[in-house]
Amino acid sequence: MSDDETWRRFEAIALPHLDAAYNLARWLTRNDHDAEDVVQEALVRAMRYLGGFRGEGARPWLLQIVRNTCWSWLKENRPAERQAFDDDDGEPAWHDLAAPAGDEPPAVAMRKADRALIDQAIAALPTAFREVLVLRELEDLSYAEIARIAEIPIGTVMSRLARARALMRGALAPAVRPVLRPVPKVAQNGGTP
Amino acid sequence: MSEDYPSLAHAFVDGELDLKSQLELEQRLATDPALRQQVDEIRALRQALREHAGYHAAPDALRRRVAALGPAAPDLPPVARAAPADLARRWLQWRPLAAGLGLAAVVMVALQLAWLQPSRNDALAEEVVASHVRATLGQRLVDVASSDLHAVKPFLSSKLGFSPPVAALPLEGSQLVGGRVDYLDGRPVAALVYRQGQHDVDAYVWPSSETDRAPAFGTARGYRFAHWSQAGMTHWVISDLNERRFQDVVRALQQVGGER
Repeated sequence: MSDDETWRRFEAIALPHLDAAYNLARWLTRNDHDAEDVVQEALVRAMRYLGGFRGEGARPWLLQIVRNTCWSWLKENRPAERQAFDDDDGEPAWHDLAAPAGDEPPAVAMRKADRALIDQAIAALPTAFREVLVLRELEDLSYAEIARIAEIPIGTVMSRLARARALMRGALAPAVRPVLRPVPKVAQNGGTP
Repeated sequence: MSEDYPSLAHAFVDGELDLKSQLELEQRLATDPALRQQVDEIRALRQALREHAGYHAAPDALRRRVAALGPAAPDLPPVARAAPADLARRWLQWRPLAAGLGLAAVVMVALQLAWLQPSRNDALAEEVVASHVRATLGQRLVDVASSDLHAVKPFLSSKLGFSPPVAALPLEGSQLVGGRVDYLDGRPVAALVYRQGQHDVDAYVWPSSETDRAPAFGTARGYRFAHWSQAGMTHWVISDLNERRFQDVVRALQQVGGER
């Protein structure tokens, strides 16, 4: 294939997803300038891997490369940020992380949250949770696509997403911050006769 | 108790459950207030994120850097985009000369489109087959399972930036199963799912600026597909029906697509 042809194929496959690529890189690096550098490097890699692209799912294909480039970049430039976290400590039960305090239901607080608060809350998530949340909510990708991009099993996609959302809920509904409260046993078991 | 199904509530909201679990969960929602609250909260969070979270589109500086990666092409995209305005201006200033130039440009663009279109449709056919196979073999045939037009249409409209034509088909043995949001040709599209006898039919619709054109039929990996443009919408239909049945379905879809 000539350079021209390669470029044209690349333009057709990868460039329609440039916004998605930048959005992911921007959320992972949390910085405009770094995100541009990372995307450029990812595109150079993508052009090299173009021969291996089989024509299905151009967006996940490209995002996988962007994602890997981001993680290598983070490893090199911000080693402190790659926090260790444990996927296996289970999902936080939705209601344990933030218990409704009574005055404002969390759903209402979340619907009222403004952009600054939301962006701040996403940025504060651990990277591994942030990427899953961004891919799901901002790029509207399926669990299977996210699994492919982040190279994790679908079960892990689910648990990380649940975790990310529980953390977001805690951040956006601060009135209902984690409180340990006695659980009325009667109400909890109400469903089964 | 909802704590028994923590991921299920998320998968439910994300439309990632198979039909059976989806229906089971819907039933449980009616009797389990804790689960209902969780689902409501996940939806609230999801809505807040989709409406307000910052989406970072690629800045122009990055686009220029990317363009510089290519072979020294003389800035093709901007020129192509500015072409109609330029032509009009030149036409006025240099009428005689412009006639020739303009015509040449138009012919070139037309030729290019004519060459590009088939390969683009080939690629799209692959995407359509892949999507259909994923949906029928996998678990996610429909995001909204309903034969009620008035449930399917608002669901799709709310998820997409357009309102797809949704109608039952005037065919014997045809049933609307539901709809889902899919991703084709670099954009979210509506997928309407019909069942014709034992066969699943996926009908994809999205808005386009194409002029109306009659259905073109093809086959790929054992599936039949057809695509056409009608009333500002591009349609792609795919199924494993036999040829005659498939043509009936396409005709019926054209008929209801024109009526909306």
